Amino acid sequence: MTSETHFEQSKRRTFFKSGIAFISGVISLAMAVPLIGAAIAPAFKKGQKKWVDLGLVELLKGARHKKINYTFQAKDGWVQATRERSVYVTDEGGGRFVVFSRVCTHLGCLVRWDEKKRHYHCPCHGGIFDETGNVIAGPPPRPLERPSVKVENGILYVREV
Amino acid sequence: MRRRIAAFFESRLPLSDVVNHLKKPLPKHINWLFSLGSMAAFLLILQAVTGAFLALYYSPSPDHAYNSVKYISHEVPFGVFVRGLHHWGSSALVIVVFLHLLRVVLYGSYKAPRELTWMVGVILFLVVLGFGFTGYLLPWDQKAYWATVVGVEIAGTVPLIGDFIAKILRGGAEVGAVTLTRFYTLHTIWLPWLVFVLVGLHLFFVRYYGSAGLPQNRPEEMQGGKPFYPDQLFEDAVAILVLFILLAAAAIFIPVPLEELANPTDASYDPRPEWYFLFLFQLLRYFEGPLEVIGTFVIPTAAIVLLLLLPFLDKRERVPLRKRPVALAVTSLSVLAIVTLTILGGRSPKLETPSEPSIKQSESPSNDANQSEDATPEEDADDTPVFDFN
Repeated sequence: MTSETHFEQSKRRTFFKSGIAFISGVISLAMAVPLIGAAIAPAFKKGQKKWVDLGLVELLKGARHKKINYTFQAKDGWVQATRERSVYVTDEGGGRFVVFSRVCTHLGCLVRWDEKKRHYHCPCHGGIFDETGNVIAGPPPRPLERPSVKVENGILYVREV
Repeated sequence: MRRRIAAFFESRLPLSDVVNHLKKPLPKHINWLFSLGSMAAFLLILQAVTGAFLALYYSPSPDHAYNSVKYISHEVPFGVFVRGLHHWGSSALVIVVFLHLLRVVLYGSYKAPRELTWMVGVILFLVVLGFGFTGYLLPWDQKAYWATVVGVEIAGTVPLIGDFIAKILRGGAEVGAVTLTRFYTLHTIWLPWLVFVLVGLHLFFVRYYGSAGLPQNRPEEMQGGKPFYPDQLFEDAVAILVLFILLAAAAIFIPVPLEELANPTDASYDPRPEWYFLFLFQLLRYFEGPLEVIGTFVIPTAAIVLLLLLPFLDKRERVPLRKRPVALAVTSLSVLAIVTLTILGGRSPKLETPSEPSIKQSESPSNDANQSEDATPEEDADDTPVFDFN
């Protein structure tokens, strides 16, 4: 084999190697975009916000840290699911209500109202929130969530996502 | 620094050794038909990858399967494309593996010492058909349901143990929830592991004995051809790219069918299997009554046994195809028969039975699924809270 043909052969093989890398790259990219797109899509899906009926204001008059469980319909993938939620409602007078989500801002356990100690207590890691939902002890990084509320036609609504 | 990292990995993971193994020269005069094996390997990977992503959204239960497939097709971003690739990829896999098998037959590559390579390959072909059979039940539409009912009934005609096999396949007396879970498990766990082991074995044999090359190669031409890497692999890559472009185009432009939700009480439905089982479907039409078992069991089993034992039935020295008139005639006739039966099966007239009005039974398997599909009340309409004051 002459050095020239050896050189040409080497050039051809370099082209083949680049070609294999190029084709592998094209197919991988053409696959990665739709596959990863499909897999991570839920992270970009915005939940539909809606007002959920919590009950008649009349029945909630004078409520102090009253636990209310409620359900509502929401789409869960291909299923129309019944979601269950739990909140604490406090009547602040003058038609104003404060609603605290029961979900601990630490790692998502449900907090409980301790009537004797007058604070919310998380059973998982000992997070404690005061009456206004602020953290007074334990690991939670933020106060309890306060979903938006409104009163319409004598009914208290909470904003659900 | 970069050189040190490269040296670290090279000393522990000698990739250059692996690449050197791939550089083993092939026999001379290798043509593009030798890319079919690589194409089949690519399609298996494509099926595994797209299947793994479809499984993120698929639910293998009669109540949810159909709606989850609809969800993949209509709501998951790129879902219709991924499902399309998986669907058309399965058809492509059957074609490519069949052509690969045909190439090996026509070139006589199954002969000694490659008998085991061949036998493992035949089993792989059957496993690919098994993937097809277990896969198309999963959407739980009319075609899925009825093709599976018929398919399992075919298995049920096996003498002596047919009923036993059918019950094992169904997981009970009828095609239902247990069948779907079984088929899903077979499709996504059992068969993939089997393929993994069989492909490993197949590749080991291919690498160990090397490519059989062309039958007309003189002994000195069995070596000294181009190396597998990068020469042959480049040709394989080009073939794979063309195949991928075709599949992507099919996934984009040809909608994957999804019929009505499976309805076990719908007698007006005319079941047809996936196209690659149409030859068997058509074959069964020629055997009626007590002869049925010939079409359902005797001929398919004989064909499989003949294929498996081919290297032991044809032990003569390897010669070019033009010197093997019997082999050429038998192969051509077999392919012609399969193609003809497939076309006839596809064209067979469907019964024009109008849908009969029926009274719904409360325990009809489709009832639950219907309910879950229908259970889509208007958003906000059902916000009635359930109070629990304490």
